[in-house]
Amino acid sequence: MKMRFDSRLRFTSLVSSCTVKSWTVALCTAAWFGAFQGCTDSKPASSTAAGTAASPSAVNSPGPVSAGNSTSKPATFTLAWSEYPSWSIFGVADEVGLIDGKEGQMGSIEKKYNVDIKLVLASYDSCITLYGNSQADGVCITNIDILGAAGSRNSIAILPTSTSAGADACIVAGVNSIEELAGKPTRGLEKSVSQFCFERCLEKLGKNPADFPFSQMDPEQAALAFQGKNDGINSIMVWNPFVMQSIRSRSDAKVLFSSETIPEEIIDMVVVGKDSLSKPGGDAFAKALVETFYTMTQRMADPKTSDETLIGIGARFAKLELEDMKTIVQQTKFFSDPNDAKRLFTDERFQKETMPLVSKFCVKYGLTTTPVELSYGDAKGLMDFSTKYISGYAESQTK
Amino acid sequence: MIRRVIPTWLFFALAIAGVSVLLVSYEFLSQRQTRINPKQTTIPSFEKLGEGVKRMFAKQGTQENPKPPMFWNDMRATLWRLFIGMGIGVLASVLVGVLMGAYRWIEAPLSPIVMFLSKIPPTGMMPIYFAIAGTDQRMFTSMVALGIFFSMTQSIYQSVRDNVTDEAINKAYTLGASESEVIFEVIWKQILPNVIDCIRAQIGPAMIFLIAAEMVVSDAGLGYQIRMQSRVLNMNIVFVYLLVLGLIGVVAEYSLLWIRRRLCPWFEGT
Repeated sequence: MKMRFDSRLRFTSLVSSCTVKSWTVALCTAAWFGAFQGCTDSKPASSTAAGTAASPSAVNSPGPVSAGNSTSKPATFTLAWSEYPSWSIFGVADEVGLIDGKEGQMGSIEKKYNVDIKLVLASYDSCITLYGNSQADGVCITNIDILGAAGSRNSIAILPTSTSAGADACIVAGVNSIEELAGKPTRGLEKSVSQFCFERCLEKLGKNPADFPFSQMDPEQAALAFQGKNDGINSIMVWNPFVMQSIRSRSDAKVLFSSETIPEEIIDMVVVGKDSLSKPGGDAFAKALVETFYTMTQRMADPKTSDETLIGIGARFAKLELEDMKTIVQQTKFFSDPNDAKRLFTDERFQKETMPLVSKFCVKYGLTTTPVELSYGDAKGLMDFSTKYISGYAESQTK
Repeated sequence: MIRRVIPTWLFFALAIAGVSVLLVSYEFLSQRQTRINPKQTTIPSFEKLGEGVKRMFAKQGTQENPKPPMFWNDMRATLWRLFIGMGIGVLASVLVGVLMGAYRWIEAPLSPIVMFLSKIPPTGMMPIYFAIAGTDQRMFTSMVALGIFFSMTQSIYQSVRDNVTDEAINKAYTLGASESEVIFEVIWKQILPNVIDCIRAQIGPAMIFLIAAEMVVSDAGLGYQIRMQSRVLNMNIVFVYLLVLGLIGVVAEYSLLWIRRRLCPWFEGT
């Protein structure tokens, strides 16, 4: 059947071909703007990125800044952090006014050290990307995931915040024993602290990790899916607050095993890029972070402010009560005492057993192609565990 | 003057110049970043990108138990999800869209629902998809299919109403066509080019939904690998994957244009 075509039809085709063209033009323009955006964007980034940057005028700070010197304009440093008991402390420190996470605003500790700390809250793996690509000076990260980043950016761990003693857990429903879990998929963040913990625990419990499949899922989404009793999500390997939420919201859920099995192998830390640390004000940034952390742990220990601080941290997690927070704090053993933190970084087991194991894990999963050179205090390795700032803080307290 | 024609050679020369300026500025940015941090992986040099490509095609697994290279594994997963999802979405929306455009009593109950649901971004509904459809192929399929279904139904039904004139339908009836003949011979043939254009327009959104879902839950696929490799800071692989995503879009666009030209030569407006 032949038809005569409506003139409107032809008009539509004209319009659509026009839109295709203008679309292409828009795309090209966008690509161009993107390229230049990258150019301009990398300016502030490079000032965060490295003190070795060609133009010294990029950094608005006159030489090394020492505590108490508040005459000059402070340099801004960025800390990327994600929600986790011993890291949310920085978020609460912002709420109580010790530091002000906004750029250009100063809290009491920032004033003391004359350094401007900018807090960036992101998901755990975004934090790693931000830090590794020099968009953040410091990052809250574990001793496992930092090795991947240290491969492309020399890093110094300035502060262990806590060690996981139950805070990373394999939670199951409808699975009664570890034997039953074999062959069933466990969901969690692949090639990260979660998988490390999963495999190490299985090894310690006398099983072969190869029999236990582990597949990638965002931990928050995995916890949500588990809580929603979704098909095929019967085992998840996540960390707190997701562990606690999952146990609370599903009656048939139980912890199959947890990082309690591998004490002091998973260390939660604050790491700063070596380049950032050697920048003017970098030292003050590290000192301010250390002091913020210990001031907050003191508030947690002090009966007067303890509950309030815990609730503060819990509120950041959403929907966790004081009682749950008390459990969470037990599962995350804080290094509240600087001497304890110092002991850990100088501990023989940590240096000779734990970190080589972690190193092996990173090579096995391609996080690094070769084992990352580690050093303890002399800053010679790509990744250094330094007690300089912890000791500095401890000394300032005894004086 | 607006729309003044330029010679073809000049057009192509300018196109090549545009691309080369882009490549040169990329190289410049990369070198600048490397000067700041020699070990940087943020803006990899072309050499590093080459290494990334090599790793993408490197053999995986052991000799007894070989696995396909990372790249093919991801491509297969993503393209399959995209193909199945879009296929179901397109079929369903053509069916519903044509019926809505043809019968007022189908249009009346469905149009407010379709109009409303087409406005909700499917990426925002991801947790609901997890809850309803689980986390495997079913989830990706339903996410892509439903993601494009509502807005595509909306445009197809609009197209039936706007592009098929009453005259054409009345003529067909006068010539003795049955209802199914009107639908298949008049309506369907008239809207076919618009349907193809709709599919072209929906490839972008479908990719967005799929990549977003893969970033959250999946153990293979382009989205999964982009997230994973950006966490372990292999930006050289991430960049190549993004390039591939662009290429998939371009190839799909041109194949659909070619199909439209073959099926509906009258539509070109010549």
